[in-house]
Amino acid sequence: MADDKDVLRDVWFGRIPTCFTLNQDEVTEREAEPYYLLLPRVSYLTLVTDKVKKHFLKVMKAEDVEEMWFEYEGTPLKWHYPIGVLFDLHASNTVLPWSITVHFKNFPDRDLLHCPSNSVIEAHFMSSIKEADALKHKSQVVNDMQKKDHKQLWMGLQNDKFDQFWAMNRKLMEYPTEEGGFRYIPFRIYQAMSDRPFIQKLFRPISPEGNAHTLGNLLKEMYPTAIPNDGEPKRYQVVIHGIEPLLETPLQWLSEHLSHPDNFLHISSWITQETVGLNGGNSELTDSLMRGRSESCP
Amino acid sequence: MSLCVLEEETFRHCCRLILQQSEQLRDGWSWESVQSVLVASAGADSIQGDIDDEDDDADEGVCTVSEGSSQVLQYEYHILYSCSYSTPVLYFRAFTLGRSLSLQEVWSSVHSNFSFRLQNSPLNTITQQEHPLLGQPFFMLHPCRTEEFMRPVLQVAQDHNRPVNYVLTWLSVVGPMVGLDVPLKYTTSHY
Repeated sequence: MADDKDVLRDVWFGRIPTCFTLNQDEVTEREAEPYYLLLPRVSYLTLVTDKVKKHFLKVMKAEDVEEMWFEYEGTPLKWHYPIGVLFDLHASNTVLPWSITVHFKNFPDRDLLHCPSNSVIEAHFMSSIKEADALKHKSQVVNDMQKKDHKQLWMGLQNDKFDQFWAMNRKLMEYPTEEGGFRYIPFRIYQAMSDRPFIQKLFRPISPEGNAHTLGNLLKEMYPTAIPNDGEPKRYQVVIHGIEPLLETPLQWLSEHLSHPDNFLHISSWITQETVGLNGGNSELTDSLMRGRSESCP
Repeated sequence: MSLCVLEEETFRHCCRLILQQSEQLRDGWSWESVQSVLVASAGADSIQGDIDDEDDDADEGVCTVSEGSSQVLQYEYHILYSCSYSTPVLYFRAFTLGRSLSLQEVWSSVHSNFSFRLQNSPLNTITQQEHPLLGQPFFMLHPCRTEEFMRPVLQVAQDHNRPVNYVLTWLSVVGPMVGLDVPLKYTTSHY
């Protein structure tokens, strides 16, 4: 079996090449050049775009600048969703680099949460971690951590420090051996073109008979239309970190290895478009998973 | 502690009882069955409040309506069930003149007695969150400390063999903190 740690690294270091363009209605003193950046899939837009803001502020007057927000093809982008999820959900069939439009006025406060400072991002991130632990361990592990341990998780994400983050996060991935897995799996299923933002419900990794539940089992329970019946062609794509894991993959393994730093499995799904394949997927991750599969085959 | 765990079915039952009372009192609660949400919308003509800007380090976006001026506020409250925490969760938003209120404005429109205590209270955090069913920004009272203030109440009720409507009890604690009054008439004979 390929080293599972490779998978953790590949997830953490996944990047999406992005081109930021200023909204043409903004008031500028001269023309603004687009700004290019590699965005971490596992981070949040407002955490990694200080340079974008500085770049465009150079051509704008202070009085024309309000809270920065981002939009893709008319859709305001929710900064509180991990960047990789936003890409997979909205732009996976687009040619790279991902083209995002930057705005400095008319903040859409019916659609987007405000993000006045990094402490808001930190609070949101820690809130997700706590909720995930409530599901996995009845909050016991996260409550046993000290404030400085929580800070280490956040600083690890903020400063892109894989080792610092995982030194602490591994505690959140442990479980009593006799249980076989977490109490419940923290997950969210996002459906493109749905009114509902996401599906999140209780789901155990192990069946009462002691069998490991798979990704397919989860979808069958939570989003059955995504799973084709026997003999029918696949109509939906189910994507995590830009790749399509096999439906037979054990859910417990996915939760331990393919969760985002917030400890949730974020699963995007949409109806297959016939022409185009998946772009912007994490190819190193695909390679790791393929190696793991081939090595475990008899 | 199983005492404080609220099962989803019990949540629905508690809400049904609240709705029965609400229909008699006509105070505006409704149940969105598709989304399992208890919704109350306090009409624009029934709540009046003052928005004071007492914040010294005012940043952009904070309301700068002058002190003492009176505005009409409209609040919308949603009670949802959190399966992660097995508790009810309160989401709310507020508008004035078609504009959403900021968190600072919400704080200042809450009665000053509560406002100071709330901002320093370890039991409650109000943050802006995405409504899990509507996908729009709401304010949310974080549920992770609910068990702390519910436990003593539930324990006493259990000791005295008194039935308790978990949701109603919980609402009577958290509601007033965010401008939602729970009339005494709710606590009549049956729970």
